[in-house]
Amino acid sequence: MAVTIGGWLARFHYDVLGHLYLLTVIVLSLRVSRWPALISALVSALAWNYFFVPPRMSFVKPDLDEALLVSSYFVVALVAGQLTSHIREQQRSERQREQRATALFNLTRALAGTHTLAEGITAALRQTDMLFEARSALMLVTEEGCLAPHHGGSLELDAAALSLADEVRREQCAGGRFTEIFPDAVSLHLPLVREGQVLGVLAVCLPQRVIRINSQQRDLLEAFAAQVALLIERERLRSADERARLLAESDRLHRTLLDSVSHEMRTPLAVLRAAADNLKNDGARHRAGLPAEIVEATNRLNRLVANLLGQTRLEAGVVRPNLDWCDARDLISAARRSLGDALSGRPFKLDIPADMPLLRADAVLMEQVITNLLLNAVHYSPAGSPISILAGWNEAKAQVYLTIADEGRGIPAELRPQLFQKFCRGHRPTGNGLGLGLSIARGFMQAQGGDIAVTDHPGPGAWLTLHLPFAKHAVVPHE
Amino acid sequence: MSAAKPEVLVIDDEIQLRRLLRFTLADAGYEVREADSGHAGLVAVAHHQPEMIVLDLGLPDLPGLDVLRRLREWTTIPVLILSVFGREEGKVAALDAGADDYLTKPFGGAELLARLRALQRRTKQVEPANIVSFGSIEVDLVRRIVKKAGHPVKLTAREYALFRLLVTHRGRVLTHRHILREIWGPALETQTHYLRVFMMRLRQKIEDDADSPKYLQTESGIGYRLMGEGS
Repeated sequence: MAVTIGGWLARFHYDVLGHLYLLTVIVLSLRVSRWPALISALVSALAWNYFFVPPRMSFVKPDLDEALLVSSYFVVALVAGQLTSHIREQQRSERQREQRATALFNLTRALAGTHTLAEGITAALRQTDMLFEARSALMLVTEEGCLAPHHGGSLELDAAALSLADEVRREQCAGGRFTEIFPDAVSLHLPLVREGQVLGVLAVCLPQRVIRINSQQRDLLEAFAAQVALLIERERLRSADERARLLAESDRLHRTLLDSVSHEMRTPLAVLRAAADNLKNDGARHRAGLPAEIVEATNRLNRLVANLLGQTRLEAGVVRPNLDWCDARDLISAARRSLGDALSGRPFKLDIPADMPLLRADAVLMEQVITNLLLNAVHYSPAGSPISILAGWNEAKAQVYLTIADEGRGIPAELRPQLFQKFCRGHRPTGNGLGLGLSIARGFMQAQGGDIAVTDHPGPGAWLTLHLPFAKHAVVPHE
Repeated sequence: MSAAKPEVLVIDDEIQLRRLLRFTLADAGYEVREADSGHAGLVAVAHHQPEMIVLDLGLPDLPGLDVLRRLREWTTIPVLILSVFGREEGKVAALDAGADDYLTKPFGGAELLARLRALQRRTKQVEPANIVSFGSIEVDLVRRIVKKAGHPVKLTAREYALFRLLVTHRGRVLTHRHILREIWGPALETQTHYLRVFMMRLRQKIEDDADSPKYLQTESGIGYRLMGEGS
C-alpha cells in the first residue's frame, strides 16, 4: 500500500516500483505465515499492473512484453514469498524443538538429582510450573488402589478436580480443560501411564489468558507426564526392593535372636537343673558351692530377660524416660549392687569430681545401661584386671559424661562401625552373650537426649562414654 | 519372740511362689496364710487380721494396687509388695498408696526376711528406742546426737531431720516424694534435686566412702533406704 501511494506520488519508473513491490513481498513473508505471503504476492502483482504498468489505472494489456513482465513478476513474488516463509516456519519449529528438548533435559536433570519419590515429584512439579507458567499438582495411586493428592503441588485440588482425576484414571486419557472430557474444568489432567497401568494423574492449571494449546505444547506436557510416570515407577521398584531386603534382614535378625536367646537361656537353666539334682543327692560332696551357682544362674537369666525386655521396648518405641535429677554416684552404686558377685575380684576405681553436677536422667534406664557396660568390661578384660568409671562434665559441649573403662584388649577396629547395633558381639573368653547390651545402651541414652560413644585414649582397654545434656537446677539452699 | 507366731498373709496367684514363700517364712518362725487372688486376699485380711501382708502387684482378678487401696481404707497392716523389674512407676504408685515396702522379683529369701523384720519393727515399736546404732554409727534420738566411731558428727538441722527420718524407718524404703514432703513440705515434694544435694552432703558426713555408700542406699527410680540392722 505504501509502495502504491509512494509510487503514485513519486512517479518512479514502473520497473523500479516492480522491484520495490517484490522487496515488500519478501519482507512480508519474513513476518507473516504462508497464506498471507501468497495473498500479498497476488495483490502486489495486481496492484503493480493496475496502478503502474502503462496504461495506468487499467488491467488491459495488449502488449505481450508487458504481460510477460507482470506474470513473471507474479511468479517470482510467489516463489520468493513461499521460500522465505518456509524457511521462517522451519526456524520456528526448530526453535520449538529446542525449547522442548531443553525443558525435558532440565526435567530429567532435576529428577536425576533427587533421592526420594517426594523430592522427585516436587522437582517435576516445579519444572512444570516454570515452563508452562502454570500451577500443578499430582495425585498418586496408593497401595490401597485409590487416588490420593501428593503434597507439595502449587495447585489446590478441589472435589471436582479429584473426581475428574478419577475419570481420567479410568479412561487412561487426558481430561479437563482443552480436552473433550469436562472441557469446563480449570485444569488439564494427564494420566501417568506405565505399561498400561495408571500410576497417578498430573493436573496442570494454565494461566487464564491461554485460551488454547497447540499440539507442540500438548506433546511437551505429555512428555512431562511420561517422565514423571517413569520416575514414579522407578521409585516404586526401588522401595519394593528395599522392603524385600528389610524383610530378609528382619527374618535373619529373628533367627539370630532365637538362636542366641535359646543358647543364652539354656546355660543357666542347665546349671539350675544340675544344682537341684545335686542338692537332692544327699551323698554329693560339693553341696556347699551350689547355692552360689544357683544365684549366679538366676542373676544371669534375670539380666537376659531385662535386656530382651529393654530391646523390645526400644523397638516398640515405648521407652518413655522419666527424667529426674540423679546423682551419678547413686546410678553407679545401684548398678554395682545389681551386678553383685559378677564384679567380685575386680578392683573398682571411681573418679568423680566433688562438684559433679546432678544429671537429668531416668535412674532406672541409667542403671541398666551402666550395668550392661560394667558387665561388658568384666567379659572383655582379663580376670582380676581393674575396671574404672570416670565422671565429669564438658562446659564447651554442655555435656555431662561417665566413662566406663576396662584394661582388656579394647574394641577391634572392624567391630566399631556396627558396635551399637543389636547382636554385635566381640570375641570373649566367657560365654557369648546376646549382643544386646550396647544396642540397648545407645537406645536408652538417646531416649534420654544423650548418647554413647567409644572414646579414643592412650593405653589399653575399651573406654565407652555415656553423655547427657548438661542441665542446671535451681540453687539448693544450705538449710 | 513372743509365744504366738506372727502371722503373714501371702496374696499371690503363682502356686510355686506361694509354696516357696511358705517354706521360707515358716522356717523363719512365721505363721503363713495364703490367698490366690485379690478378692480372696481381701476376705482373708478381714477375717484373720494378719500381722503383715505380702502382696503381688500382678494379680489376675484385681490389680494389686486396687487391693492395696481397699485395704488402706480400713487398716494400716504393713504391706510388702512384690513386683517385677522395669515397673518402677507401679512400685512408686503402690508405695505412695500406702504400701510399706517392695521387693523386685526375683528376690532372695534373706532379702525378704530382712524386709519383713523392718516392717515388724514398725508395728512393734510401742516405745521408740532412744538410741539406734548400726555399723560404726550411733544416733541418740532424744539428745539429737549422731556419732561415727565414737566421734560426734556435725549435722545441720535439716540434715539431721533427713537422717532421723531414714533412721526411724531403717531397713524400709522411703519414696522421694515421701521424704521431700516430710522434710521440706508438700510444696517442694517434686524438687528431687534438694534431696540429691542433701543426701550427698549427708553421705559425706556419715559414710566411710561417700562414693559407694554402705548405709544410705539409693533405690533407682524409687527412693532411699537406710541399710543396717540393729537395735
